[in-house]
Amino acid sequence: MTQQAAIIAENLTYTYGALTAVDHINFTVDESEILGFLGPNGAGKTTTVKMLTGQLMPKGGRAQLLGLDIIRHTQAIQAQIGVCFETTNLYEQMTAIENLSLFAELFGIKGFDAHALLARVGLDGRGKDRVATYSKGMKQRLMVARALVNRPRILFLDEPTEGLDPVSAEAIRALILEEQQRGVTVFLTTHDMLEADRLCRRVAFINQGKIVALDTPHNLKQQYGQRRLKAQVALPDGGLETREITLDTPDTPSAVEALFSREQVVTVHSEEASLEDIFIQITGRGLV
Amino acid sequence: MNRWPIVRALVRKDLTLFFRNRFFAYITLLGLVFYIIIYFVMPKAVDETLELGVYSAALPEAVLELLDAEEVGYQVFESDDALRAAILDGDVPAGLVFPPDLMVQLRAGQKPRVDVYLAAGSPPEVRDVYVAVVKGMALALSGQPLNIEANEITLGPDMAGQQIAPRDRMRPLLAVIIIVMETMGLATLIAEEVQGGTLRALLITPMDVRDLFVGKGIMGVGMTFIQAVLVMGVTGGLCQSPVLMLVALLLGALMATSIGFLMASVSRDMMSSIGWGIVAMVVMSIPAFGVLFPGTVSTWGKALPSYYLIDTIHRVANFAAGWAEVWPNLLILAGINGLFLWIGVTALRRRFS
Repeated sequence: MTQQAAIIAENLTYTYGALTAVDHINFTVDESEILGFLGPNGAGKTTTVKMLTGQLMPKGGRAQLLGLDIIRHTQAIQAQIGVCFETTNLYEQMTAIENLSLFAELFGIKGFDAHALLARVGLDGRGKDRVATYSKGMKQRLMVARALVNRPRILFLDEPTEGLDPVSAEAIRALILEEQQRGVTVFLTTHDMLEADRLCRRVAFINQGKIVALDTPHNLKQQYGQRRLKAQVALPDGGLETREITLDTPDTPSAVEALFSREQVVTVHSEEASLEDIFIQITGRGLV
Repeated sequence: MNRWPIVRALVRKDLTLFFRNRFFAYITLLGLVFYIIIYFVMPKAVDETLELGVYSAALPEAVLELLDAEEVGYQVFESDDALRAAILDGDVPAGLVFPPDLMVQLRAGQKPRVDVYLAAGSPPEVRDVYVAVVKGMALALSGQPLNIEANEITLGPDMAGQQIAPRDRMRPLLAVIIIVMETMGLATLIAEEVQGGTLRALLITPMDVRDLFVGKGIMGVGMTFIQAVLVMGVTGGLCQSPVLMLVALLLGALMATSIGFLMASVSRDMMSSIGWGIVAMVVMSIPAFGVLFPGTVSTWGKALPSYYLIDTIHRVANFAAGWAEVWPNLLILAGINGLFLWIGVTALRRRFS
């Protein structure tokens, strides 16, 4: 265990009856790191978040957040974390300001400035409107704002951009990066591989309750991914056809040579493996 | 750590949500007005006058003197048919038809026949009263004393001379309705908090589950108690023993909260809370109907928890009962509340987890 680790999970396990939702997982998240926790629905992502945030008592193993044991110091940990849930759970009949102020009071924050926080998530001017009148994107931004009320040291974000329009999704991604630059550790649960690739220093793949890979996106691509060369060739009848050559293999040079000598190549470009390709390669299944 | 700011924030939040739920906001405000109006439109005195119609081809003056002496309200009809028509029309509840030779038969020691007409649907007690009137008159007119000694024994509390006006009999029912309405409101708040997932968000703050129960408890007890005190105050229920009545209402408010917790543990939303609330209202109102219509609820009514609240309110407000008379009721009520609260909190804790 290093002193810089904000989150340490050791053999963390949770079972629902006979079903093992989280199966002896081990990982660490460094301070001010964004860790992507990727996996399909039912893989154990949310259960892991629930254990780390004190909503569920682990059935096995242990975990520390900011050097505190999650079972013995649940309240002390909860005072220093922010959680943005997968589903919207705001008080719809209250205004945005009332929602944020309530949580500020629960965290015991004096002189809380709801307007400043709303401005950060682009909701200034709508603070006195009831949440029931908000669009999905606005609600999601308010959810993120609520997670930031106590200026958390660790931020748990569960699918924060799922189902959002590109503008709202981009605003939330910018906010995540802003928080990370401020020194906040971010535990990002998502099955949006592009988002993870862009935001996360490291990603963990979880499948059937087990972490099957954990590394930087670059290393994972190096280790598991296969770069490809895609070329469009002209056919005798005037049509076009695509040819693919796997790069970085012993046969690559001869295959490339054969392509250019035998075919009339019109366009050519290389393609990197995506995290989704790697996930499928490792687990044998897709993300949905 | 000082928990009060957390509890205060939760209570403020619940009050905001309660009054932003239009159904419960309107029901609460309109209900208060409605209960008070209902109380004041009900008769404030008990009408004990016995009314009847009388017909005889030759009505003896002695009969009318007797009726006057007994303070019986009567109308003399021109014919047997007119008397029958008046009863059928509901103008008089009963009628007596005396034979023209009534006095002659009585003096001869014979047994004259007097027809007693009663409106269809008259309860047996009313029939007995009119038959008794006729028999009493016969006795007075014939001058023959009854050859028995009547020994009157009163069973239960002797309420002779203490007839309660219908509006005052309504008070316990009003209290139960207020309690059940608040039970529904509280159950809805909690159920929607669980269903909407906001509870999860609350539980990831320094707030403890105990803070949540204390906050909901203060909200439930406060809302119920304030309304019950207001209605009792306006309807004169606090005139006799105000402190005793306040203690009873506080225990009633606690009962509302504990039942609210229990209902919330099985409700999913406002509609299911209202569904369970209607069941609770029917069951809990039964003892109140026993007060409103004496004799309609037998001793099994004591098995209902609301009986001890209703009986206490009834006896304190209407018969000036004191601590000595109602302390067993209060003790039982406190015990029931403790049990309900424990069951409600346990059931809700299971739902929260």
